[in-house]
Amino acid sequence: MAELTREQIRDLMGAVMKAQGKTLPGDDSADLREIGFRSLDFSELALRVEDELGDELNFDAPGLRQIAKVGDVLDFIEQLQSA
Amino acid sequence: MTTRRRSTALIGDDNTVVAGGKTVTWRTLHKLPQLPSPAAVLVDNGADALAAVRHHAVHGTELLVATTSRVDLSLREELAASGFAIVIAKGDEHSVEPAKLKRVEESGRAWLLTSGSTGRPTRIGHTLESLTTVTNRQQPRTWLLPYSPGTYAWWQVVTISLTQADQGLVVIEPSELETWPLIAAEHGVTAASGTPTFWRQTIYRDAEALTKVPLQQITLGGEPVDQTILDRLRDLFPQARISWIYASSEVGASIVVHDGFAGFPKAWLDRDRGDEHPVLSVEGDELVITSPHHGAGLDGAVRTGDRVEFVGDRVLITGRLDTDEINVGGSKVSAGVVRNVLMAHPGVAWARVFARKAPLVGRMVAAEVVTNPDLGPITDEDLVQWCSNRLPDYGVPRRIKFLAEIPQKETLKSDV
Repeated sequence: MAELTREQIRDLMGAVMKAQGKTLPGDDSADLREIGFRSLDFSELALRVEDELGDELNFDAPGLRQIAKVGDVLDFIEQLQSA
Repeated sequence: MTTRRRSTALIGDDNTVVAGGKTVTWRTLHKLPQLPSPAAVLVDNGADALAAVRHHAVHGTELLVATTSRVDLSLREELAASGFAIVIAKGDEHSVEPAKLKRVEESGRAWLLTSGSTGRPTRIGHTLESLTTVTNRQQPRTWLLPYSPGTYAWWQVVTISLTQADQGLVVIEPSELETWPLIAAEHGVTAASGTPTFWRQTIYRDAEALTKVPLQQITLGGEPVDQTILDRLRDLFPQARISWIYASSEVGASIVVHDGFAGFPKAWLDRDRGDEHPVLSVEGDELVITSPHHGAGLDGAVRTGDRVEFVGDRVLITGRLDTDEINVGGSKVSAGVVRNVLMAHPGVAWARVFARKAPLVGRMVAAEVVTNPDLGPITDEDLVQWCSNRLPDYGVPRRIKFLAEIPQKETLKSDV
């Protein structure tokens, strides 16, 4: 399966936020709660990634982990692609 | 079962029938040879299907009529094993494959195949009497017949023409669906019945051509009917009577609403008006109907599998129970309600709403949309914003795919 780069994932995350009338900060350490990125947004991002890849992500593969910052989301999706 | 024949069955024998470019009457339609009974008559066009119905009305033979494409090989074998001879009718030519089981015919029985929207088509037993639900005298009309032969909606229009005087038919074959308004205008069609998808497609393709059809009666059915399509038809035909009908092979035509609004009045629930009228009720959020027009063996209360919602003093039918409710992280939303919101957007010609598997929340609301090209480009952000102002967070479709045209199945439905 082809993988998206971290930058491409970030663009998709920005698109999710834009559709909600919000802006994704450039800083990976930005707090998700503060920028208003919620579980529905995370789920939407996953679907956008799946649509780009043309394949389903396997969410069971990596263990659950705390996702609190923008960088955590990007790390997690990157990790999912290679799972 | 009773062999009583309806004495009114052929009152419409001199009604005009336009099919395949030819204008005839029921009486002068080409005749099928004496059919075996029971017979499953498989057709590729409307004229052959009507010829089979007239044969049934005259001879009372047990009949199932359907399009060849709806009956695949295994269903054909199933029918043969249930005692049906398989008749492939093509104008004056036909072929007969004998039944694999010999049994006594059920004289007067007409079989329908359910639409199969919830799985494999099943057979529902009716008679010409139980299929003839419009029995009060109708004003002279010319009816459009766009439905696929053998479906319940098709029988509804056919029985009006067969059993009442001055009720002409204009048959629309699948290849003519895109241009039906031209044919209808040419033959002076004054009454037309179709699914909401059928009407949406027609408006989307060429609303101007549609307005040239002198429609006095517009009927919608077969799918949930939303306020937007009723309003659009009202704009185009301010003088016409616009009705929507809830009907199925199982319970027959059970709800008829003429007031121009989606849903039906709450006051109609649990109202007993005698044996001639259906009783409507709601259990949980499911519509339950006890109908005099039911199929064989389906008397008593029938759980329809259709989901309802109460909005003000109306009962709205939002879709099938097994697919309408979308559970987004524990919050439930009706796909039908979301679809109605999307279709209320002026730039949306058609929408389908469905659940999509998603991490964290289990399911998310997704949609496919066809936009109205006359109203300029619309983005998914526009639609998300529109929905966000009208729906809870979890009900807003997060993935919206734009389709080039409105999809439509042979049943004129679109799996909404």
